[in-house]
Amino acid sequence: MTLEATSRPRLLAGCRWAEASGGERLLLFPEGAIRLQGTGREILERCDGQRTVEQIVEELRQIYGTGDPARIEEDVRIFLGKLHQKRIIDF
Amino acid sequence: MVSAPLALIAELTHRCPLHCVYCSNPLAMRNAASELSTAEWTSVFEQASQAGCLHVHLTGGEPLARRDLVELTARARAAGLYVNLITSGIGLSEIRLAALTEAGLEHIQLSFQGGQAEPADEIAGAHSHGHKLALARLIRKFKLAFTINAVVHRQNLDHLSAIIAMAEELAPDRLEIANVQYYGWALRNRDALMPTRRQLEQSQATVSAAEQRLAGRMRIDYVTPDYYARYPKACMGGWGRRLLLIDPAGQALPCHAAGVIPGLSFDNVREHSLAWIWQESSAFQRFRGEAWMPEPCRSCDRRGEDFGGCRCQAWLLTGDATATDPVCCLAPSHGLVEKVVARATDDLAQEKSRFASLPTAWVYRRNPS
Repeated sequence: MTLEATSRPRLLAGCRWAEASGGERLLLFPEGAIRLQGTGREILERCDGQRTVEQIVEELRQIYGTGDPARIEEDVRIFLGKLHQKRIIDF
Repeated sequence: MVSAPLALIAELTHRCPLHCVYCSNPLAMRNAASELSTAEWTSVFEQASQAGCLHVHLTGGEPLARRDLVELTARARAAGLYVNLITSGIGLSEIRLAALTEAGLEHIQLSFQGGQAEPADEIAGAHSHGHKLALARLIRKFKLAFTINAVVHRQNLDHLSAIIAMAEELAPDRLEIANVQYYGWALRNRDALMPTRRQLEQSQATVSAAEQRLAGRMRIDYVTPDYYARYPKACMGGWGRRLLLIDPAGQALPCHAAGVIPGLSFDNVREHSLAWIWQESSAFQRFRGEAWMPEPCRSCDRRGEDFGGCRCQAWLLTGDATATDPVCCLAPSHGLVEKVVARATDDLAQEKSRFASLPTAWVYRRNPS
């Protein structure tokens, strides 16, 4: 299954956000956790099963306006691809 | 400055309906009468969360043997912990699974002892494989993360493809293929469990192919036996660094095996706070930092990465808990491990030709009295 522009990524069951001490946001999943900052956090927070990949890329472009738009799209795809392999998101 | 623990391993009971020959529980187990109560476990969960733990692993023995498991799950979740259940599945009905999920369970890890009933049940010492298959199908109906933990060793590595195919059909999110490590009952059965080098190499190729084929559908994590590794594992992420285990009677340990090491005095949550035990108790301090390390670890470039390997394994194999873990190629006693591995490779060919019809003389895990 490949990620399309119209795919709607969402967190898999057993994957959720938590606040750690110090106010930072963590993503919890079976037997592990990742601390996400910057673009990673912005992307994953938008994986709500409603937004399409296209919309996520567009919203990222608005936040990080100075970046090369094609580069942002590639970064989003690579990042989501990795999370998909780890069974943290599905689409 | 001691870092916060990340996960609590809650060994709720040593009671278990199975008798797996590879079990890593201590040979001397806690009896039912000594187990912590619901209220005592609740306090442990709350303290663990306050100390910084993100995860709790409800394990044992068989955690389902605790009648209060649904309540324990709810209390752990209420304390702010992500609840993982590590189970054989024996004792889990649909009603109970629904109740656990409702109570806040988020991840279930179900063990399999093989790909087919006869060999799997021989390893488990009980008829259990059929029940696990049925349970796996049931789990998919619930909003839970689902891992299958397939335990592999000399007796079943040749059938790894079939085991993976079975797991694939059951559709967990993740498949952990775990080679036996040698503690507790596994150490008693080591010769019958140690794979040959050829089996291990073949298994790595099989896993690689499966990973590629299943990428994006099922994640595979493969754990190889550290007897075959060049360098040791960073056992538990280091002594008293990441993980904290509370045994069924409330004793706090840095890992499931540490009770074998003499000269350590382990404290109990019935008498001390978790925070004090983690930060200041002598047992937890014993192998932190580098001052305890002898050579070659003391000046080794890898010491910050693997901490000299496993203290329990060093004790079990050399009689010295400070020694470099013998699995390390740089360990003075590495020859011990090389001998075991060499014997494993020689024996398999002989077994197949001469002893194929005789059953293995397993030492089965007993229940606590």
